[in-house]
Amino acid sequence: MAPAGALVLGILAYPVAWEIWASLTDFSSRAEGGPVFVGLANYGRLLGDTWFWKALATTLGYLAVTTTAKLVLGVGMALLLARPSRLRALVFLAVFLPWAYPGGITVIAWYWMLNPPLITSYSVFMGNVKHAVDGVLGAGAWAFLSVMLFNVWRGGSFTAVFLLAGLNAIPTELFEYARLESRSAWQRFRAVTLPLLAPYMALAVFLSFTTAFADLGNVWMLTGGRIIFPVVGTYAYWLAVKSGQLAEAATWTLALVPLLALGLVVLFRWFDPHEETPA
Amino acid sequence: MSARRLRHGALLLLAAVYSLFPIYFITVQSLKTPHEDVFGSPLWLADPDFENYTALFEGAEARVRGFVIIPRVPFLAWLANSALVLVGSLALTLGAAVPAAYALGRLRPPGWRACRRVLFASYAVPQTILFIPLYQVIVRLGLDDSHAALVLIYSMMALPFCVWILSAYYRHLPREIEESALVEGATPVRAFLRVVLPMSRNVLVAAALFTLGTVGNDFMLASIFLLDPEKQTVAAGLGVMDVSLEELVAVAGVNLAAIPVVAVCALFARTYVRGLTAAMLEGA
Repeated sequence: MAPAGALVLGILAYPVAWEIWASLTDFSSRAEGGPVFVGLANYGRLLGDTWFWKALATTLGYLAVTTTAKLVLGVGMALLLARPSRLRALVFLAVFLPWAYPGGITVIAWYWMLNPPLITSYSVFMGNVKHAVDGVLGAGAWAFLSVMLFNVWRGGSFTAVFLLAGLNAIPTELFEYARLESRSAWQRFRAVTLPLLAPYMALAVFLSFTTAFADLGNVWMLTGGRIIFPVVGTYAYWLAVKSGQLAEAATWTLALVPLLALGLVVLFRWFDPHEETPA
Repeated sequence: MSARRLRHGALLLLAAVYSLFPIYFITVQSLKTPHEDVFGSPLWLADPDFENYTALFEGAEARVRGFVIIPRVPFLAWLANSALVLVGSLALTLGAAVPAAYALGRLRPPGWRACRRVLFASYAVPQTILFIPLYQVIVRLGLDDSHAALVLIYSMMALPFCVWILSAYYRHLPREIEESALVEGATPVRAFLRVVLPMSRNVLVAAALFTLGTVGNDFMLASIFLLDPEKQTVAAGLGVMDVSLEELVAVAGVNLAAIPVVAVCALFARTYVRGLTAAMLEGA
C-alpha cells in the first residue's frame, strides 16, 4: 500500500498544490518580478469571460458526443463479439488494436487520412470535404471533428473490450432465463443486458472522460496546434506554453475539477456501493 | 437462421474493417514512392517502396539529397529507450500495485475504501496539463532528462486502474485459499507469492497490458521530459521531429516499433479480457 500511495500521491500532490497556488496569483512568465497573491481574482475574471463559457460548452459537447458514440460502438461491438462465431477470435483482435496500437502513430494515421499534409492523390477530395464541413459549421470544424473521430475510434475500442469483459462476468443463466421470458431480442437487451451492464458502462464512461480530458496531445497534433474550437484543457495548455500566463492556465485547469468530482461521485455511487454484499 | 448468421458475419467484418482501416491506410501511405503518392490510389499499392523504413537504420546524420535535407534519426537508440522505459514502468507499476491491491482488497486496514477511492480519483487528474509543476518535481528529484522520470510518471498514470482491478479481484478471492496454505506451514508472504500471485495471473496480465497501452499512447510527456534527442522514446522522438507529421519516416518508425506491441497484444488479448472479467465478477 505504502509504495503505491507514495508514488501516486507523492508525485501528484505537489503539482496539484502548485496549480492551486498559481491560480491564486498573477504568476506569468511575462510579468516583472515575482508572482503576487491576488486571491480569487482569477476565478472572478474567468467566470466573466465569455471565451471560457464557450470553451466549457465546447468541452461538454465534445464529451457528450464522443462518450455517447463510444458507448454505442462499444456496446455494439461487445455484443457482436460475445456471440460465438468462427471469425470471432480474429475480429476480436482487430477490435482490440485501435486501443493497443501506439497512440503516437494512430494520431498520425488519422491526421494523414483526414488532413493530408502534402499533395497526394486524395488531398483534393479531403480538401473539399474539409471546406464543405467548415463552410457549414465554421472554420476549424473539420479539425475538431477529426479529433472527435480519433477519440471515438480509439476509446470505442477500449470500451468494447472492457464491456466484453463485463458481459462475460454476467452469469449466463441470466441470459438463458431472459431468452425464455421475453419475446424480442430488443426487449431482452433493454430489460436484461443493459441494466446488468450499466455499472461497467459507468466505469467505461468515466475512463473515457478522463482520457478525453487528457486527449490534449491529440488535439494538439491533429489540429497542428491551431485552436479555433477551444477545449478547456487545450486552451489551458496554450495559455501556459504559448503565452506564459501560468496563473490563468492553472485557473482554467482547475475549473474542470468540479466536473470531474461530480463524475467521480456518480461513479462511486454506482460502481462501488457502500452496502457490502457478503462475498 | 442462415440469414441471421450472414448478418452477424457481415457486422463482424464491418467492425474489423472499421478498426483496422486507419492503420492499414497509413501503412499504405508509408510504403509509397513519391510518384505514386501523387498519381496512385490512396487505398492500395502498386509498387511498394521501403525507403521510409530503411531510412530509419541509416544513422543519425542528416543527409542532403538534391536540395532536400533528409532527416535521419537514431532509431535503434530510441527503440532501446522505449523498451527500457516500458520495462521500468511495468516493473514499478506492478511492483507497487500488487502489494497495494492486496492490502486494500484483502487485509482491509481501516479506511481502505477511502484509500481505494482516493487512489482511483487521482486517475482523473489530467496529467498532461500538470506538466509544468510536474517538471519542477522531476527537477527537484534530479531526474530531468532521464528515463527514470518517465518511468515514475507512467507508473503514476497507470497505477490507479491497476490497483483498482487487482484489489477488486483479491477482494473476491476465497479466503480458504490462503488459509490452506498457512495450515500447510507457509509464511503469509510465501503463501501470497506461491499461491495467490499465480492465481491472479490473468488480472496481472490485464494490468500489464493496460500499462503498456498507457505508455504506448504517450508522446507529449516523453517529449517534454527528455531533452536529449539520443534519449527519446520512439513515439516522442518521431512525434516531435521538426518535420514529423509531414514525414512518413515517422509512420514507418512507429509501425516498426508497433510490431512487437501488436504481437504481445495478440498473445495476451484473451487473457486481458479474462483478467478484466475476473476482476469484475460479482461487481468490482
